Amino acid sequence: MSGQPNLLEKIVAFVDERVGLKTIQAKMLNEPVPGGSRWAYVFGSVLLFIFIMQAVTGILLMFYYVPSADHAYASTQYIIHEVDYGWFLLSYHFWGSSAMVVMVFAHMSQVFLWGAYKSPREMIWLVGLALFGIVMAFGFTGYLLPWDQRAYWATTVGVEIMDKTPIVGDFMARFLKGGATPGQMTLSRFFVIHVMILPAMLMGLAGLHIFLFRKAGPAGPFRGTADELKAKTDYFFPRQVWKDMVAMAAVFVTICSLAFIEPVVLLEEATPDPGDYHPEPEWYFLFLFQLLRLKIFSGEFGQFLGAIAIPGAFMALLAALPFIDRNPERNIFKRPVALIGWILVMTGILVFTVSAIINREFLD
Amino acid sequence: MSGQPNQMSPVKLGLAVAWSAFWTGAPIKLGLGLLFLAMGLHPWESAGLAFLLLLSIPVDIWAVGLAGRTIFLERLGVEPPDSLGLTLWWQGAALYATYGSLACFLARQTIAGAKAMATRIMDLEMLKSVPVAERISIELVLWGSVAAGVLLALVLGGLFLFGKLVQRQANAGRPSSAPYDARVHQWDLMRVPADQPLMLTVFTAVGVSMVLLFWAFMPVTTPHPHESYKQDEKKAAQVLKPAEALQKAERVLTQAESSVQTLEEKAKKGKGKAPAPDKKAAAKQKKA
Repeated sequence: MSGQPNLLEKIVAFVDERVGLKTIQAKMLNEPVPGGSRWAYVFGSVLLFIFIMQAVTGILLMFYYVPSADHAYASTQYIIHEVDYGWFLLSYHFWGSSAMVVMVFAHMSQVFLWGAYKSPREMIWLVGLALFGIVMAFGFTGYLLPWDQRAYWATTVGVEIMDKTPIVGDFMARFLKGGATPGQMTLSRFFVIHVMILPAMLMGLAGLHIFLFRKAGPAGPFRGTADELKAKTDYFFPRQVWKDMVAMAAVFVTICSLAFIEPVVLLEEATPDPGDYHPEPEWYFLFLFQLLRLKIFSGEFGQFLGAIAIPGAFMALLAALPFIDRNPERNIFKRPVALIGWILVMTGILVFTVSAIINREFLD
Repeated sequence: MSGQPNQMSPVKLGLAVAWSAFWTGAPIKLGLGLLFLAMGLHPWESAGLAFLLLLSIPVDIWAVGLAGRTIFLERLGVEPPDSLGLTLWWQGAALYATYGSLACFLARQTIAGAKAMATRIMDLEMLKSVPVAERISIELVLWGSVAAGVLLALVLGGLFLFGKLVQRQANAGRPSSAPYDARVHQWDLMRVPADQPLMLTVFTAVGVSMVLLFWAFMPVTTPHPHESYKQDEKKAAQVLKPAEALQKAERVLTQAESSVQTLEEKAKKGKGKAPAPDKKAAAKQKKA
């Protein structure tokens, strides 16, 4: 009979009456996007998607992984060689972490270049910086878990660098290692931080980040007249949702392709003797590692300067950025200091990362 | 709005179309590439590359057409001509075949020359004491900046030529007299298909088929086993049949009983009495 709601409609109405589904839906999807949807706005959604996929693949891996110094390596090998599609899951998780770092850089760059950190969005920027730190911590703690030579020595180097932090460095290094050399305690602590503490922190802060973003609203493009922006202003659904979905699919396919092209292959099981292996961290920390090889950063003070003081000062500068840069101009082509600064930082990271790769030939 | 195509620089125009078209087609090509990888065909090697290039043709024609129509209507205020995608695609392909090959050759030569020059500079007597880490970075910056400059110039040259092709099409098009709002609306209608449920159904069907094919082709175990890893010998688990097991146990016990009896009889016949039990052996057995 027409006019009578069907069973599904009745269920939706029942839930809506109690939860307010339609209000949530309207708030989620009917957010106005000034100037219309853009590909430049996809990074935040893509990051959320990558995190969800990392959580899913991580949980699946935990069904088989044993976080003990005696079994971590063997269980990872078991996942790769015996578990159905285990090699693909592990490789996806591995490349997913790299994709997350790349996307964080892309997202932060977009926000910086678009001037979207400026008033009234300072809080979004600060929470975003904290999320950046969490993503890096995810990479650092996850790297140890396979318990091969690469994992062991990258962690050893990382903890040694951390040790150089004044006041808290010694405590942090001792807490993470849980002994004189990395062992069972280190693995347990890294595992708990990786699968319990960091996901909880990330979920909380990501929720806050999205809440603050919705509260302040999207910044919109930095160019265009008011009339042009008004003519093109659109709701989040369907066009931005569509762009986000296409970007997510592209990132998913890219990660899958990388898992096929370069699947995870472990080195020998971790031992306190590096043998022929030259310790080095994950690729996104390589620039910092190479920086520390420069003569200017040699010695105790030099290492502190390169590993702690300069990165720390850079992060402090990023945190203070919305409060220092109070000019409301958002067009990046009218902010030469910001543009040149961004190009220099990106070029520096690129040059030192490539230098670290070339450096391997000299070590071999 | 006529005359706008000539007001926009060819480089900007070429970049606007090429950049959008690249990102429009990339997800589809990536999906195809992944499917090839799952099938064990590398998309950058002979057969895989040939297939991918062949399948990319309709994708590129569609992507260039979509991006071109958007730019024509929104930025240039020109009604896009029919078969814009096909025209821009074949002209772009011809340009890539000629200019692209020349640019690749020039880039390779320049990079090789810049690398050699950078090494020679760093081999100078006064620079020999530079430590390895610094040397690597300085050399990289020396040849990298030359290479980046040349690559940028070549890319700009390519975009200029492609922009000229786009401009020619735009000049041949009919200027739109509609106001900006109406053009944006028209552009919206062009992007969104009239039958959206049909489009969603097709997309879902293609997506599901791709996922099924992907899982069907993907190897179950790693294609790169670790050299020191010993694969578990997959022994079929023995099925326990209670009746057979009991019968077997009974047979063993009967055999053991008869063996003991035989031994006892032999002992009786041989010495008239059973041998004294070995105390040490008995204690060992007890411990065990």
